[in-house]
Amino acid sequence: MTEPLLKIENLRIELALRSGQAPVIDDLSLELRPGETLSFVGESGCGKSMTALAIMGLLPEKVGSIAGGRILFDGRDMAQMNDAQLRSIRGNEISMIFQEPMTSLNPVYTVGEQIAEVLRRHKGMSKQAAWARAIELLDAVRIPNAKSRVSDYPHQMSGGQRQRVMIAIALACAPKILIADEPTTALDVTVQAQIFDLLRDLGRETGTAIILITHDMGAVSEMADRMVVVYAGRKAEDGPVAPVISHPRHPYTKGLISCVPHLLAELTEERPDLTEVPGIVPALASFGADACLFASRCDMADDKCRSSRPPEVAFGEQHSACWKADQL
Amino acid sequence: MTALLTVENLSVRFPIKRGWGKTSWLYAVDDVSFEVQRGETLAIVGESGSGKTTAALGVARLVGNSGGKVDLAGEDFLALKPEALRRARAKVQVIFQDPYSSLNPRLRAEAIVREPMDSIGTLPVDQRPARVAELFEQVGLRPEQMKLFPHQFSGGQRQRIGIARALATNPELIICDEAVSALDVAVQAQILNLLRRLQRDLGLTYLFISHDLGVVQHMSDHIAVMYMGKIVEYADRLSLFNSPRHPYTKALLSAVPSVDQKRKVERLLIPGDPPDPLNPPRGCRFASRCPFVEDACRSEQPPLTEVAAHHKVACIKA
Repeated sequence: MTEPLLKIENLRIELALRSGQAPVIDDLSLELRPGETLSFVGESGCGKSMTALAIMGLLPEKVGSIAGGRILFDGRDMAQMNDAQLRSIRGNEISMIFQEPMTSLNPVYTVGEQIAEVLRRHKGMSKQAAWARAIELLDAVRIPNAKSRVSDYPHQMSGGQRQRVMIAIALACAPKILIADEPTTALDVTVQAQIFDLLRDLGRETGTAIILITHDMGAVSEMADRMVVVYAGRKAEDGPVAPVISHPRHPYTKGLISCVPHLLAELTEERPDLTEVPGIVPALASFGADACLFASRCDMADDKCRSSRPPEVAFGEQHSACWKADQL
Repeated sequence: MTALLTVENLSVRFPIKRGWGKTSWLYAVDDVSFEVQRGETLAIVGESGSGKTTAALGVARLVGNSGGKVDLAGEDFLALKPEALRRARAKVQVIFQDPYSSLNPRLRAEAIVREPMDSIGTLPVDQRPARVAELFEQVGLRPEQMKLFPHQFSGGQRQRIGIARALATNPELIICDEAVSALDVAVQAQILNLLRRLQRDLGLTYLFISHDLGVVQHMSDHIAVMYMGKIVEYADRLSLFNSPRHPYTKALLSAVPSVDQKRKVERLLIPGDPPDPLNPPRGCRFASRCPFVEDACRSEQPPLTEVAAHHKVACIKA
């Protein structure tokens, strides 16, 4: 097996609340190998985006902090790096695209200037060279007529095109890791399909590893090699996508898959009610408890689930943190 | 079955000011006709800007400048005078997309749910509190929550308040405008099940606007697919999902990722963006992006034609 590119060990991120510190990420470990696509799945408020921000060294100052664990990138611990060291990695070796392509671009600069900025900052390119490269990048993300579109302002582009520009910026320095945080949530399905195709092709061509944050199991099964299901700041389950989806070993994963009406190969008259996962994600204040945090929404929960935190159990390459994983 | 809603040649246009005295009209919905049977769900799908929301809200005369004919439970909606329209709106209510911005933050939940009864005057005043309590129970909220303000509820609970408000006047038609798009998946399932249960119990008719084809597949009886203000395909649920005929519908369906490993459809790519709606092409509006386009498509608009029972397509090659 190849050496992992990114290795997160027992990561703990704390947020300052009025009532004290709460762990938004609690003892999370994972590995990302070169060229693979890993997906983080979970509801909002489960800590998916927090993990991504921690990897980027972008946790909100004075509110969030890394309280323990290591984030090893190429053997170096990013949790210990200072701002200057982080800046040289961010946007260069690890880059990120966000959910809202409109608000992530600067409205007063042309898209070409925004792509060139990254190249000049990290690669020390001249103005002309960076501009020429920006055109190539727009072409690579399949924006038609790149040569003239490069001087467009963001408002002159459609949502899908803006997201392509974001991808061009993120890929400008040929990063080793691309973090995509719900990159298609604001886009139409046909555009989403184009963006996914693009990410997949680019990943294949450049060997960039992708972390895809999403709540859409369909997208996971189409895009990712492996997945990590996060619930209330903890890993509920992880493993290769196909076995996890066909045989989830955690009731939360099972719930996430079956509560969504998926398009089926052959639709029938039959239309059973959707499986409900009752309730909502617990409040941040209860995140640190020594219990299974999913117990309040789980129909299999018993006293043991409510009084001690389940350890991770392995089923081949699949891992589940559930006391009853073997019964599923 | 009888039609509760019959829409004939509905157009909804918006004025676009271009300098002094010059106004051009943007037709967000252009000559659209459809029927909704009592007790069933008609879903309208399409990408953003296709006119699906405008078509539904246009039916209730809530947006733009509507032309054509809308018959809702025997009432000619587009011909009503303002006062009569206000009363007639008791029959059609809307559940909105965003449960955060669609509830007045200064009103208590009970006042929000009661408001349609107060403004339309559907019940004697002394019966309204009991009706509010009944509505809270129907949508799965607890009586003690009536006194709370919107910010004290979660997203899913707020959407339940929105649903209770929509039910307050005993409407016959409910327009669900992306009613679950803003919700987390687990909460979405709770709300979808609630909507289906209410439909069964109260005999409601839904006009269901959504861009999520998985949700549409689960909720609808018939589906209208819209592209640039036109219906390009109309069919019952099984026909549309198992044998789509219009290239745009095929492209939409093939773009949806699914967990069903058996569902391996060849992806039909449609490059580019829709043309400028202020200056729509003369022929088929999908021609510029259609992989099967030929010359005839560009010269004349294909009419919506019946190709099988309950299945209409606007494409000369269907």
